[in-house]
Amino acid sequence: MPPRNHIILGGRPVARRFGIVNYRGLATMYAREMLRGFKIWGITLAAPTVRALLFASVFGLAIDRPDAMMGGVPFIDFLLPGLVAVAALERSFQSSAFSIVYDKNEGIFPDLAMLPLTPGEIVFGYAAASVSASLIVGAVVWAALLLVGGAVPVAPLTLIFFVVIGSLMIGLFSQITGLWARKWDYLESVQTFIFMPFVFLSGVFFSIDELSATAQPFARANPVFYIVDGIRFAITGRADANPWVGAGVCIAVIVVLWVIVYRLFAAGYRMKS
Amino acid sequence: MTDRTGGRAGSGAAPRVRSFGYVNWRGVWTLYHREVKRFLKVFTQTIAAPVVTTLLFYTIFSVALENRVGTVGAVPFVVFLAPGLIMMTILQNSFANTSSSIMVSKVQGNIVDVLMPPISPLEMMCAYIAGGVTRGMIVATASTTAMFFLVDLPFENPAAIAFFALSASVMLALLGMIGGIWADKFDHMAAITNFVIVPLSFLSGTFYSIERLPEAWQYFAQFNPFFYAIDGFRSGFIGQSDAGFWVGAAVMLGIDLVLFLIVHRMLVTGYKLKS
Repeated sequence: MPPRNHIILGGRPVARRFGIVNYRGLATMYAREMLRGFKIWGITLAAPTVRALLFASVFGLAIDRPDAMMGGVPFIDFLLPGLVAVAALERSFQSSAFSIVYDKNEGIFPDLAMLPLTPGEIVFGYAAASVSASLIVGAVVWAALLLVGGAVPVAPLTLIFFVVIGSLMIGLFSQITGLWARKWDYLESVQTFIFMPFVFLSGVFFSIDELSATAQPFARANPVFYIVDGIRFAITGRADANPWVGAGVCIAVIVVLWVIVYRLFAAGYRMKS
Repeated sequence: MTDRTGGRAGSGAAPRVRSFGYVNWRGVWTLYHREVKRFLKVFTQTIAAPVVTTLLFYTIFSVALENRVGTVGAVPFVVFLAPGLIMMTILQNSFANTSSSIMVSKVQGNIVDVLMPPISPLEMMCAYIAGGVTRGMIVATASTTAMFFLVDLPFENPAAIAFFALSASVMLALLGMIGGIWADKFDHMAAITNFVIVPLSFLSGTFYSIERLPEAWQYFAQFNPFFYAIDGFRSGFIGQSDAGFWVGAAVMLGIDLVLFLIVHRMLVTGYKLKS
């Protein structure tokens, strides 16, 4: 058996070997990302739950007709899956970008390049943490919304599938944002001027059939729309578009984003100067 | 004539205290100027972002609810909604300005630079409040201008609009100071924003008339100061109010006064600022 230690006592030092994947390194990075996110659970878990309940309350109170419909289902049934989607996607957006910009400010981000992790492992580590965090936040928000009339999903596995691909897509976008951002300001700008409009106008709060004919193509070109629509399909069984076409679109976007993020990490973009 | 040069070592005479008259106008102006430059320097975060967020909220609520709510009282839902959203952004930005300023100073340790200069607690708080109010008013003006392109907004009573915008902005600037002084970490500040300021502003009648609430809740809603701010501000636009102008005005002035005294007391005693 080869020695597990990277220095053979009394001999010459040799490089430590990991096999094809450095599982321990990956697990360590994943654990750090998860701990970092949920250590401040008041901000990352409780706050989105409160916000979802607030949105549910104000929409519920604003509508004066209990029989108000949206997209063929009662309004509240339409709204609540959208709120689960927003909470899950927001967590995903904030996870990796927040972590990377924080490390940049502390000056420890380049340490990542020194670890025995390949660019692919780094991308995977961040992405896995994004997806897990979204699943946790999505589950908690969904459970909280049961109090105000939430429904048990008609297709739980489909729900998990759409949350996973949605958070993976946004998580990869988050990594690009984090790598690009030099300061918190950049990150906040992307969040306010790109991420929020894409999510809020994706059909979270209204069926895109409500939009004018000119706005329709733009709404359908928004990949977040397919995620929100898919999550709603899994919970209520109704969808604006064919959810499996939506899943295909999202997977294509994920592949493109993954290649971009991989190239950025491999090239050391804004990491190795 | 008073000696305006202050005491200089080596000038031969004994050092004397620099005197300012009753109010250190230059000191107040300098602190105010810093407060305003602080947020103008990052205007995309402090002005453009709130306006975009307000417009996003307007879009989602109007698209989702315009055909499902009809009228609130005598006005269309969107006309009811717009002033509430403008007031919400005033509240959040006035609060954010003073709270973040004090919080950042505390974390970076440069709060002493505000405590050491020869300005009284009263002067200091006036400068901070004016900074918060300035940001609130800039954001309000920008949001109202943007809203004009979307909604046919009446202007029934401009005096009421101005009064409630200013008094609400002062209220939140004061609350921001209390929050900033009290909080030890950014986490505490985020908790106040997420669990106090945002819920109070969401549930204050921005999106629905208070009459829509069940009886028991209406009773509680009357204790939410944000309700009077939004209700009064909206009445300036649409001319109808849930609480009544004079009740609203009295509540706002009363709360501002109480908060003013609390913050003044905190600064005089040096609560959490001077150890």
